Amino acid sequence: MRFYILRALVVKELHRHAANRGGIALGLLLIAAAVMLSVFNPAGFGRGGSAATEAAGTGMVGGVQHCFVYYTREDSELMTPVLNHLEKTVPPDLAHRVRFRNMHPDRIKEGVYYQPGVASIRINAYTQDGRPHLRVDVFHPPGDTAAMAPYETWLWRELRVGLQEIAEQKLKALKVTNADLPRVGTADDDLWAVREAFASLRRDADGWQPGLVPEVEITREGLGGQTLELRSAIATALVVFALYFSCVYLLPTLNCEERERGVLLAQALSPASPAEILMAKFLFYPVLGGTLAAIIAGVYKPAVLSTLFFWAGLFTVAAGFLGIGMTIATLAKTQRAAFMGAMCYLLSVSLVLVICSTNGIPFVSNLALEYHVPRVLHASLSGSVHSVHWLHLLAAMGLAAFWLVTAGWLFRRRGWQ
Amino acid sequence: MVFRRIVFYNCFMLDPAISIRGLTVRYGSFTAVDSLTLDIRKGELFGLLGPNGAGKSTTIRVLIGQRRPTGGSVSVLGHDVVREWAKIKPLFGYVPDRENHFEEFTGNRNLEFFAELYGVPRLRVRECLEMVELEEAGNTLVRGYSLGMRRKLLLARALLHQPRVLYLDEPTANLDVHSAEVVHRILRERVSQGGTVVLTTHDMDEVEKICDRVGIVCKGKLVALDSPLALKQQHTERITDAILATGERQAFDMDRESERHTLAELVRDGRTASLQTREFDFHATFLKLTGQAFE
Repeated sequence: MRFYILRALVVKELHRHAANRGGIALGLLLIAAAVMLSVFNPAGFGRGGSAATEAAGTGMVGGVQHCFVYYTREDSELMTPVLNHLEKTVPPDLAHRVRFRNMHPDRIKEGVYYQPGVASIRINAYTQDGRPHLRVDVFHPPGDTAAMAPYETWLWRELRVGLQEIAEQKLKALKVTNADLPRVGTADDDLWAVREAFASLRRDADGWQPGLVPEVEITREGLGGQTLELRSAIATALVVFALYFSCVYLLPTLNCEERERGVLLAQALSPASPAEILMAKFLFYPVLGGTLAAIIAGVYKPAVLSTLFFWAGLFTVAAGFLGIGMTIATLAKTQRAAFMGAMCYLLSVSLVLVICSTNGIPFVSNLALEYHVPRVLHASLSGSVHSVHWLHLLAAMGLAAFWLVTAGWLFRRRGWQ
Repeated sequence: MVFRRIVFYNCFMLDPAISIRGLTVRYGSFTAVDSLTLDIRKGELFGLLGPNGAGKSTTIRVLIGQRRPTGGSVSVLGHDVVREWAKIKPLFGYVPDRENHFEEFTGNRNLEFFAELYGVPRLRVRECLEMVELEEAGNTLVRGYSLGMRRKLLLARALLHQPRVLYLDEPTANLDVHSAEVVHRILRERVSQGGTVVLTTHDMDEVEKICDRVGIVCKGKLVALDSPLALKQQHTERITDAILATGERQAFDMDRESERHTLAELVRDGRTASLQTREFDFHATFLKLTGQAFE
């Protein structure tokens, strides 16, 4: 690698972009958007996502997309018929959103980290002082109890119906035929009313046979995590877009344009080696995207620039996108093909992520860099980095390495075509 | 004196600038260049001619290291083009048939970029622009250049590092007469300074005017190799066209005794209205040698 050649190649790239007024305008627009996000922030200029805005529950994707119903079979005599009833009566519109999971009794009280848009209901049946108990814990997104409304409506109604049917069957077995247990009323999400409905059912059943209906204890809590904060989400999108635009769009299209025009050949015939030409592009585009991304993040929340997690995430994303961009640049022969390749990649990955998210398809999303990247950057921009985000960062690093290796391998095989 | 000339000639031939030995290039089942053997001397302006698909461009692509030969070997200034491409690159300049500039840069900036890659001082950029008479357009964006200006800028770029070998593909295409003259002068100067120039062209006048030697390739094979003058001597048709007093047109081959005699009788008897001897026609010679329509 000769410094004067690398310098000439990098300066050439800089001059090419300086001559591109549209690109400069786009960069300025991104920065302007970050400035507006910061200036019109209720938490104050440069504060980024605050606790106040987070508590407002302004999730980018509102509501709860998935609800896990965790249960233990500690008291299987009670739990099994209750669970069977609940599983049979999930409404069709919630069928693909509700997932039943068996959980070990020791883990039922442990904290679990949930992604935004995911909530849970935990049901634990046990016997205490000779009486059956049913504990139901509802975990909703923080500051957004209403997000669980469709799930709770179903749960409270069907749990009451289920317990009533179980009690009636037991009374039938005791040859009691004239029991008049209270009918299930309209859905009510008022927790006091719900508790009262269960208590009323238990009292009436106890009149015939004590212990027919368990004592139902209900808690409703906010999840320990944070919702997807809108401002941080937009800032994350701007940062990701800056890197994507630079590395996955500009790099392959301009590279293919040089190839189509024959300018790449002219450079290849000069003393610059293919490795030096490649290195100059490797140096320029991630730095361009990274600088723009850092400016956007810095304008939005200056404090983020002093965190290791943000820079580690930024470098990882830049490296990963560089690998993807170089892969497209090596495969595409023309500028149009490169443009289409970049767009097709974006759309296909988005589609896969949406399909996996809405249908609860596990693991596949983890193979996409774009699954981990927003989580890493959003966590750093909203200042809520958990251990799970470090795992996302590690996964993103692995995927970035994969794309870089793929790009290098393809380049060695196909060269500049 | 004769001895000195032989020694001088042998020195050139023992150490040619470009040595092509049994070069074969295949694209699948199509053979573009078929066992081509050719030596191009140092300080020579060599013209490569041939119809479409003859293998000229493929040969040039092999010479600049952009196509690996299927068979044979090619060396430039003693270096193998495949194994020692990195060593050869700074030694040659290349003017492609299709202009390839950075449109968004000025002519000046285009040359400055390549000057930096070649490690050439910026002063040389000005010299090269002056050489091709583009000094006034140096600060104009290339997208505002005419086709001729773009071609001259290509030549200026190829001359930046004063290469020892210069390859040119159609160097005077789209150039006006004056600009073509400028290019010819520059090429002759390069040769007089010891440089070697290889050009492909369709302009027969250009070949006759500036080339020291000409190689005619057809279907990947070399069908003729000599100086334009020697080719002229070998292939001039010694034919006289006569228009008789009756208005009839007749051609007489001067190499045949009987036809010479017949023409002499016609002239003596005053039965000819006009006589015209045919000039050497490079185009016709080319057609005769290649047996194909000219591109």
